[in-house]
Amino acid sequence: MTDRSSRDGVVGSASVAVSARNLGKSYGDTVAVRDLSFDARAGEVMGLLGPNGAGKTTTIKMLTTLLPIDSGSATIVGIDVAAQPDAVRRVIGLAGQFAAVDEKLTAQENLEMFGRLYKIPKTERTQRVDHLIDRFDMGEFADRIAETYSGGQRRRLDVVASLIASPPVLFLDEPTTGLDPRSRTELWDEIADLATQGTAVVLTTQYLDEADRLSDRIIIIDEGVVKASGTSAELKTSLERDVLEVHVVSAEDLDRAVEVAEQVASGVSSDSEDRLLQIPLTDGSSQSLAVLRQFDASDIPIDDFQLRRPTLDDVFLTLTATGGNR
Amino acid sequence: MTTTHAALARRPGFATRFKWTLQDIATMTWRDLIRTWRQPEMLTFAVIMGVFFLLLFYYVFGGAIGAGTGVDYIQYLVPGIFVITTLTGAQQTGTGLATDLSQGVTDRFRSLPMSQMAVLGGRTIADALRNTISVVLVAIVGYMLGFRFVSIGAAIGAIVLSVGIGFSFSWMNAAIAAKVKSAEMVGMLSMFWLFPLMLASTVFTPAEQMPGWLQGFAKWQPISVVADAARKLSDGIPAGEAVLWSIVWILALLVVFVPIAAAVYRRG
Ligand SMILES: Nc1ncnc2c1ncn2[C@@H]1O[C@H](COP(=O)(O)OP(=O)(O)O)[C@@H](O)[C@H]1O
Ligand SMILES: [Mg+2]
Repeated sequence: MTDRSSRDGVVGSASVAVSARNLGKSYGDTVAVRDLSFDARAGEVMGLLGPNGAGKTTTIKMLTTLLPIDSGSATIVGIDVAAQPDAVRRVIGLAGQFAAVDEKLTAQENLEMFGRLYKIPKTERTQRVDHLIDRFDMGEFADRIAETYSGGQRRRLDVVASLIASPPVLFLDEPTTGLDPRSRTELWDEIADLATQGTAVVLTTQYLDEADRLSDRIIIIDEGVVKASGTSAELKTSLERDVLEVHVVSAEDLDRAVEVAEQVASGVSSDSEDRLLQIPLTDGSSQSLAVLRQFDASDIPIDDFQLRRPTLDDVFLTLTATGGNR
Repeated sequence: MTTTHAALARRPGFATRFKWTLQDIATMTWRDLIRTWRQPEMLTFAVIMGVFFLLLFYYVFGGAIGAGTGVDYIQYLVPGIFVITTLTGAQQTGTGLATDLSQGVTDRFRSLPMSQMAVLGGRTIADALRNTISVVLVAIVGYMLGFRFVSIGAAIGAIVLSVGIGFSFSWMNAAIAAKVKSAEMVGMLSMFWLFPLMLASTVFTPAEQMPGWLQGFAKWQPISVVADAARKLSDGIPAGEAVLWSIVWILALLVVFVPIAAAVYRRG
């Protein structure tokens, strides 16, 4: 897996399903996406990871012909998005950020309608609808109109609707946002399954664990710019740092505390107002013991301490700190 | 895989695209009919609107307005109410579509390999079918009040023209809805065309009773022209010229508003 990746997530391969080159998009003065490049191959989940406003939805909308591309270019299974939007629409499935199904139709009717619009012949269409309802366990609510669905049911229908024509390329914009943990895990399994069967999946998420769990390769974007990319394994080693948070009793001890902590870890940050130290650790439990022992030995009294998993914020801080700005 | 994708990238021939467009319009009409059916309050309100207008004008204003016409007022009024009915029905194309366009499913339609025009076409056709029911209901209530068609052919002609002009105005409203995307806004804007067309018309009273400067507009605006044709057809008076002008209006409005609506919608 590791050898597949290269800088900026761009690869050279015959089975490239999605190829984005230097994509750019502005809304007036707001630059939403800047110089974004990546590839996704058949059978692979490509995760676009970024916080709110990073430009994920804008990227998906450009690739799925919903927004004109300002600069750069993109192809889907070799078809140019700007030049042949109609043809692109025949090879993609899209589940946008907000559920896009007809609230007044049942799941069965929604799927039937989308199947007709894809011009799937009648017999095949009926079989396909039945098969999807069965496989995604929607039988229980398939005959009720969608406005009565729970968030999870609606989202499931939404994702399934994008599968009706068995598209080789699937775009999912924050597919699990708002789902309960169980529906979330179920959907993850389904998405992983689709990729196994050869679909190229481009997925956006705000959640590190989701990208981690699902994606073969991840691109971290913020403010429309690629901050890092690689396989989840590659990113993990750079990202997976626990953070030890320590509140010292007296603000006067803070500078000394930073010095002491840096004997064990690097990249320690401090906040004098809260008397708080944030100490990134590569080996959480044993290193935190070492740090706390050092504090004790150096006579630095502490109020409390806590070992926590990194948040997306830590990831960005780490990434931008090594880049030297921010 | 690559070869099938290459095949997909090729643009299908005109005949295929035409067939697909018709299929898409049929699918979207089916969808909009189900939606209409599943909003029973809206449907009921829309369908009885015409009967409401008929009774209101017949009983409240009938005596006063009818006195000057020198004809049986119910016979004069009913064909005009047909047109008013489809005109208010056309307004609902706008409000309904504005709501629809603001919902997520429209985004999905935009990402599908379908005729985007069908999103608007399905809605206008479904509304035309609903308008037909409303107009037939007006005819039935009118019959109970003494209104008569001279023949079945006359009835069909009058109803088709009324629904036809409503269809044209549905496209005008589709264009407005695609532009403003808010049902409230569509409703507000309708003040500026619905009431002038409705009241400055020969639907309730002949043009001769209006101030001179208004008579020209009142006589030649589309609602009056179609109402006049529907009236002549119902009464069995030679209606050839009136029907011709009605068809001209219907087509002219379609020629203008179908492309505008489609363009505005496509731009998003
Ligand atoms: N229609 C729009 N008009 C103006 N600015 C927009 C519009 N859509 C998105 N933006 C801005 O573009 C940036 C990227 O947005 P978006 O692609 O929705 O991010 P994400 O999906 O990652 O949350 C944000 O700063 C957002 O405010
Ligand atoms: Mg988004």
